[in-house]
Amino acid sequence: MPMELFTTLNGIWFLLAGIFLVGYSLTDGFDLGSGILHIFTKDEDIRRIYMNAIGPVWDGNEVWLIAGGGMLFAAFPVVYAVSFSAFYLAILIVLWALILRAVSFEYRNKKESKTWRTAWDIAYWIGNVLPAFLFGCAVGNAVMGMPIDEKGIYHGTFFGLLNLPSLAMGFVSLFMYLMHGSAYLMIKTEGKAFEFAKKGAIVGFLGFIASLVVADFFIIAIKPKLFANFFDYPLLWIAPILKILGLVLYFKYLVLDKKYNKVIYGSTITILGTVLTIALASYPVFIHSSIDEKYNLTIFNSASSNLTLTVMLISTVIFLPIVIWYTAYVYKVFKGKVSTEGGY
Amino acid sequence: MDVLTLSRWQFAFTAFFHFVYVPLTIGLSLLIALMKTWYLRTGNKHYDDLSMFFMKIFAINFAVGVATGLTMEFEFGTNWSEYSKFVGDIFGAPLALEGLTAFFLESTFMGLFLFGRGRVSEKVHTLSAWMVAIGSTLSALWILIANSWQQTPAGYRIVETAQGYKAELTDFLAAVINHSTIYRFLHTVNGAYITAGFFVLGVLAYYIIRKRNVEMAKTGFKFAAVFTLIATIAQVIIGDLHGYEVAHTQPLKLAMYEGKFQTEKGASLDTFAIIDQENKQATPIIPIPYLLSFLSYHDFNAEVKGIIPLIEEYQQKAKEYEQMIPVLEQKLQTATSEAEKQSIKDQLTEATVKAHAYNIKYEDLPSIFLVFTTFRIMVYLGFAFVLLAFIAYWKAKKGTLENSKGLLWILVLSIPLPYLAGLLGWISAEVGRQPWIVTGMLLTKNAVSYLPAEQVALSMAVFTTIYLILFGVFLYLMFKTVIKGPASSLASEPIPTTTPNPSLTTTFSKTKEVK
Repeated sequence: MPMELFTTLNGIWFLLAGIFLVGYSLTDGFDLGSGILHIFTKDEDIRRIYMNAIGPVWDGNEVWLIAGGGMLFAAFPVVYAVSFSAFYLAILIVLWALILRAVSFEYRNKKESKTWRTAWDIAYWIGNVLPAFLFGCAVGNAVMGMPIDEKGIYHGTFFGLLNLPSLAMGFVSLFMYLMHGSAYLMIKTEGKAFEFAKKGAIVGFLGFIASLVVADFFIIAIKPKLFANFFDYPLLWIAPILKILGLVLYFKYLVLDKKYNKVIYGSTITILGTVLTIALASYPVFIHSSIDEKYNLTIFNSASSNLTLTVMLISTVIFLPIVIWYTAYVYKVFKGKVSTEGGY
Repeated sequence: MDVLTLSRWQFAFTAFFHFVYVPLTIGLSLLIALMKTWYLRTGNKHYDDLSMFFMKIFAINFAVGVATGLTMEFEFGTNWSEYSKFVGDIFGAPLALEGLTAFFLESTFMGLFLFGRGRVSEKVHTLSAWMVAIGSTLSALWILIANSWQQTPAGYRIVETAQGYKAELTDFLAAVINHSTIYRFLHTVNGAYITAGFFVLGVLAYYIIRKRNVEMAKTGFKFAAVFTLIATIAQVIIGDLHGYEVAHTQPLKLAMYEGKFQTEKGASLDTFAIIDQENKQATPIIPIPYLLSFLSYHDFNAEVKGIIPLIEEYQQKAKEYEQMIPVLEQKLQTATSEAEKQSIKDQLTEATVKAHAYNIKYEDLPSIFLVFTTFRIMVYLGFAFVLLAFIAYWKAKKGTLENSKGLLWILVLSIPLPYLAGLLGWISAEVGRQPWIVTGMLLTKNAVSYLPAEQVALSMAVFTTIYLILFGVFLYLMFKTVIKGPASSLASEPIPTTTPNPSLTTTFSKTKEVK
């Protein structure tokens, strides 16, 4: 089976879908994390610095979500159609939250009034917490199984999506982004803003481990089959090992070595490992049907034609490196600490 | 209301609002890049200041455009999942390519342009303006490829899968460059240039009226007037070509545009008409004989098909497909080779899908009045724009702008008109292709998701609330940015002390601009 990941177009696209999810989590992930941390400090300067730290880049980072959504639509249209209509309200809540986030970014500092700012701070916080949490919930539902029939039509309710295992996974992603966002802020800030980000990093780290344990407990209790792939193909253990390695690095740089600029390596590897682990556990299934396993949406029964997959693969191989190259260039231009001053 | 009606309204509403923000970004990005380049060429600092100022306007539009664009992308899955399953193989690719080749470029380099001053060289700064322009144009290209494919599908075959029928890509280039892509792309993008052109003219006219940064405003005005004049004239030509194409590929849409219920030889172009959809007739007002035939087919005596004969034609077509089915089924029984069997199966699938899709009745048509009227107003606006752009250019050339208060005010008040023309154009184009969501293949009523109506009603309510707030925020920011005006880097032009709305500006000047 692991060979299929590299030898079939469908397998390669499964990996690429994972790469876009990782790309989104690594970039907009720290924006979300910074936004989660935002409200826990009462210090206006720190809040402003945190927003300035992501000011030039968050818009571009969100493009990973748009590109990822487009990729899913192009490569696995059935997965896209089924999941988006099944998660109807959840998807739209994420959307509304992201809009709220964008608006509060523009609006928060336009008026010198405490009530005004507090209101937008709450909006901003909701705009970050909800997506961070619901992404995890969605993945939880997809792997734990949801009631979809042979035509891919969802037979559950909105509240059916908020089951315990999925909620646990929601916390996993929430804390994962907090870890990553705090690590990013530690690089971009100094003084009291830095000190507060350090606290965020510790909370994120501990919260991530705790929620991961709970989520794993649910999987073992309800759907132990998700571990089958790892026992059939021991090579796949590389993914969870990567996750643990990331956590070890995070702890090492944050607590032992106090090399705060490097903590982000830890969260980067943790995110990579976490996404890979869940993807490889679920492989080759995208969405598990709780009605009958026959109705699972897999990389084979829900994919586009070989021609579409080939065209998209060629385009991705050409353009993705270019995107990464100029994104890296712009990050280099904006290197350095930020202050409360800024804007254009 | 049922899920279909609610989903249609929601899609129309969200698409409508999305397109309030998008055209300006497409047109403005090119103008900004040109201005910045002119600065490099001439050394005239005014161009530099103007490009910096309009990029701020761009950023406001872009942020809201991305947020509302995300809605559009998601809605195909959330509300039109049956559609997404049917066309995902073809329709998904341009959407993905838009993100990959356009959005990253646009957003990354916009950030570099706005925040990177002093961190990068002037050449790189100019280059980033061009990257933003290229990104927004590519974005338009991919979206219009996707839209055009639905209107004039090409490069596909229909197959049956476990989850239902779907169109499968057979020829990527044919699907991308289908019959209407190029015309629709040119028409829409050029419309965006007109929108941006009049926006810039209107804003600069305002500064001239208020005697603020007058030299800078006049320099920019002349520049924008040339740009706008070229775009408005080009639109007349492109619009004619696009109409010619529609006549050949979507005759039913043309008949609705023109309010023709019956087939006419040497058809007249009616300046206006009273549409009576119930009684299937239209009363023309001031018809210009033969002109429609000439515009549609470049032949004064050509036949322009009417709505009623076309519907009969489609029903006939549906019957023919229906009759093919038993014949093909029989052929399938006797087919010997695998290749032959596959080919017959493909034909059978296509016949089944098209027999259903072409079986449309007169009652399935949208409001012809709506299609007819929106189309007409758009065209008349288009001609008015040529005139207005010409006068603006003339006065700028003569250097008598400051004395033409009337014209300047007209330009300020005209800012919304190109937006209106664009929105009306989209209404006529999209309503005019109903009842199909994919011409001749999939009916809109069969494309909607299986959803509880309450959920869609709820989302519609939330969308309305959020989008109206968003629109308020948007207007507020736009007005504020425009009233604040560009920062002049020339010492000879001091920042003005009088502003039209002091109550607003004093509040802002106290706050630090943080973004």
